This record gives sequence, C-alpha cells and structure tokens, in this order.
Amino acid sequence: MREIIRHTPGKIFLAVLFVSIAGMIFVARYFTSKILVFGWMTLPLAAGLVFVFVWLVAYLIYFFKFWPYR
Amino acid sequence: MTVIILVLFGLAILVMASYGYKISAKTAEDYMLAGRTIGVVVMFFFILFAVSSSWTFYGYPGYLYLNGPAYIYFIWGSVAGFAALYMFLGPRLWAVARLNRYLSPVEVMAERYESPFLRVLLSLMLLAFIVPYVGIQPLGVGLGFKALTGLPIIIGALYTVALLVILVLLGGMRIVAWVNIFLGVVYATALLGSLIWVANKFLPGGLTQAAQTLMETNPELLSAPGPLGRFTPVIIGGTMAVGLLAFSWPHIVIGVMTARDKMLFKWFPLLIFIFGGVFFYTIPFIWGSLVAPVVMPGVVEKEAADSIVQTIITKYLPSWFSIYVLMGVIAAAVSTAAVQLLTSSILVSRDLIQGIFKPDAQDSQIIRWARWSLLGIVILSLGVSIWNPMAMALYLTDVTIPGFAQWGPALVGGLLWKRGTRQGAIVGTLAGLVYLIAGLIYKPLFFDMHPIMPTIIVNMVLYIVVSFLTPAPSEEVQARFFDEVEDFLAAG
Repeated sequence: MREIIRHTPGKIFLAVLFVSIAGMIFVARYFTSKILVFGWMTLPLAAGLVFVFVWLVAYLIYFFKFWPYR
Repeated sequence: MTVIILVLFGLAILVMASYGYKISAKTAEDYMLAGRTIGVVVMFFFILFAVSSSWTFYGYPGYLYLNGPAYIYFIWGSVAGFAALYMFLGPRLWAVARLNRYLSPVEVMAERYESPFLRVLLSLMLLAFIVPYVGIQPLGVGLGFKALTGLPIIIGALYTVALLVILVLLGGMRIVAWVNIFLGVVYATALLGSLIWVANKFLPGGLTQAAQTLMETNPELLSAPGPLGRFTPVIIGGTMAVGLLAFSWPHIVIGVMTARDKMLFKWFPLLIFIFGGVFFYTIPFIWGSLVAPVVMPGVVEKEAADSIVQTIITKYLPSWFSIYVLMGVIAAAVSTAAVQLLTSSILVSRDLIQGIFKPDAQDSQIIRWARWSLLGIVILSLGVSIWNPMAMALYLTDVTIPGFAQWGPALVGGLLWKRGTRQGAIVGTLAGLVYLIAGLIYKPLFFDMHPIMPTIIVNMVLYIVVSFLTPAPSEEVQARFFDEVEDFLAAG
C-alpha cells in the first residue's frame, strides 16, 4: 500500500477501487426495483458482478504493468 | 451405506494426515506455516475453503431465502476484503515474518508495537471470537446428519470433531492446506451438482422460470428490502462494510505468512476475483435466493431456513447423492474449522505460552503445546456452541466478524503507518472490544447500526489520535518493519 500511493498509477488504481465501493453503496437505493437482468439476475447480484469486474480490470492493469514488486 | 461411505471418507482424511505427518520437517515453522512453501494454486484452495464453511451451505442460502438478495453485499465486500489483504497488506506481512522468522501474525504485531501486553490482549481476543465459530462447524454437519439419517445432531458433530482433530493433530498447516484441495473439490461439486440437478428437475425453463415464478408468488424476494423489510440502503451499505473487514479474519491473515514467494501476491487476486467472486459464491446465492424459494416455499423459521438446501436435496434427490452432499458439507466444515483450530492452537502455544511464560522453548515443545491446546480448544468450542446455539448467519456477521475486526486498525496501521504507536494500538483495540461486548449485552449502545460500525470507528479514531499524542516508535522498529521490508520486496 505504501509503495502504491507513491506513484500516479497506484493512486489512480486506489481511486478506482474506492469509487467502485462508493458506487456499490450508492446504487443500493435502486434495489427496491424488481428489474431482472437477463430475465433472472436480481439487481444486487448484477451490481456485484459489475463491481468485481471493475476490480478485476483495475487489478490486471496495475499489477501486471505498474506494481513496483513485479 | 451412509456409514460405510462416511467411514471411507474419514479414512481418506486419516491417510492424508498420516502422510503429512510422515513428510513434515517436525519444526514449528513447518507445523504452523507449512515451512512457508505454499504456492498460488494450493493457496487459493486453502484460503477459499478456509473461508467457505458449512455457513455457505446452510446459513448463507438460508438467510437469502428469508431476506431476499441484498445480503449478497456481504459476499461482494468479502471478495474485496480478501483481495485487499493479498494486494495491500500481504506482501509486507509476508516479508517481515520471513525476514524475522515470526510464526504468528499476533507475534508480528507484538514485535511491531514492542508490547507483550498487546500480544496477550490480541491472542485472548481473537481466541474468544474464533472458538465459538469453530464449534458451529461440527454442529452444522450435525444438522445435515439429522436431516439425512434422523440421528441426533451430536453424532454428526462428534464425527466431524474426530476428523478435525486427526487432521490438525497429525498434519499441521501444510497438510491442512493440501487437504483443502480435496475437500474443496468435494464441496464445490456437491454444491454445484445439487443445484444443477434440482434446477433441471423442477425448473425446465431454467433460472428465468424461477425468477418469473417468484415475481408472481413472492416478489419481495427479488428486491430490497426483502420480505422482512430488513435491507434498507443503509443496512446494505453496512453489510458490505462488514464484508470488507474480512481482511482481518485471523485464520486468513495467517495464510499470508505461508506463501512461498512474493509473486503469489501478484497472481492470487486473479483467482479470488474469477473463481471466488464470480463463480463459487454465486452457487449458494442462486440456491438460496431463486431455486429453494420456488421448490420449497413457505418456510419461515430461521433453523428450518438454515437447512433448506439440505432438506430439498434429501427430499427430492436419490439417497446416494444426499450422502455425497453431506460429505461435501463435512468437507466444508472440516476445511474451515481445521484452519481455525490450527490458528487458535498457534495463538495459545506461540503467543501465550512461549511468548509470555517460556521464551526459550524448543520447537518440539511448541508443537507439543499446540497439539495439546487444540484438544482443549475443540472441546471448549463444541461446548460453547451447544450451550448457546444461534442462527449461523447471524453469529458469523453479528458476533465473530465484529470481534475479528477489532484488531484491524492495529494490524493495518502496524504494517502501513510508521507513526502508529503501542499506546494507540492498545487503547484503540481495548476500547473497540469493550464497546462491542457492552453493545452485545445492551443493544441500544449500537444506535441501530451493525455492531461493527460504531465499534470500529471508535477503535480507529482512538488508534490514530492516541498514536499522534504519544512518542513515535523507535528507529529500530521503523527500520525493521518498513525500511528493511521495502528493500527486501524491491530486491527479492
């Protein structure tokens, strides 16, 4: 963590993760809607899959291109 | 038939534990940390199935069944929490433990803060919260035994305890990690296989049919706040925060110290995201939130909901498959409880007995104390769980995790913040712990929030404020825990 906040890619990486957490909490207000993604996927499941995808992409880019200890 | 299969299953574990005993180096480092040789694939199974207890089969789908889908936010938080442990804290904890031959994360904290008192405090606190959770695992299996065979719960619980004791007593951390691969495969196939089978049998239109049926019969199960009105946006956010604090689970933290090299921390999150987050935890979610409410609607009691998946399997699938599923549940319980039990015995032998009373103990003595203490812990944990049974999901999220979280600020600050002091760690941890206990006794103290929220805020604020008000750690500590670690990670 200390090494990550010392360079710009690391700061961007952390910012993406924090924004995604804030986004997850923000979208919870819309979960009263009974919308089903693909006909069966409830909104808390769909939101979480998007969340994990964002973390996955951010991690792949940072850890394989910028991680100081790679 | 059931007895024969379960005896064979037990024998398989006995053989693996015996093999582990045979090949072990008989050193404390080998017994407690698998000689620091665990690679990324074994680590993944080790950690995923140390996390995935019988709760994944009983408590989690049962809670979704009663409360709707928003509880999955606990899982999303946990996925992020575990990934954060390996991405941010893991490399430093691993490096400092390797450089200084530390054997327990509590030992790392005691050395970082130069405080034997903190060592005792953290050890006792973590033991107090981990011990009842160890006991819940055999009881979970007992539920499955009862549903399948009609035998009393205690029979299944004792069978599981016997497997646990054999595995941990003989094998130590290395074989517990390796056996988790076997147990994990059994568990994952049982969970996924039963879901596919039941869905094919009752839902020819697939999950879409399940969702449409619920939309007509019980639409509250498809949205927040759920049928019981529990999951408001604030509670959903709090549930995710509880999950995020998964980085502080002691039996997961200790896993970091078993890593073979730093490259593990580069690859491990990939497996967490894809196989843990997207794949594995979606199975019990679909079971509890979509399939079970359609196949067997109308269950309202917590205990009955906890065993809803097992009940459906026992009622509608062939008996041989029910036995396999029960084996999967035993696998889940054993894979988690073994790691918890081993962690507990390390806290007792390394941190309490050696750390306080006999600093010059030999490896053979430490291992012997660890083995004896695990026998005591397993009896104690089973006794506590029988004495005070509680809905599984509730115990995990409302008691155990808030308890584990109380060493979170000291852990994070100790590894990442040079200015964090002994006084800050002690005051923050003690205040959070006392507040948690008081709130569990007298609920209004939590102000309608989840127990973790007010306690962790008080803990964190006091840790930071008191650290700023007290002298900085010695230069020797700063060099050992920061400068040397950074040089090692950059070069090694």
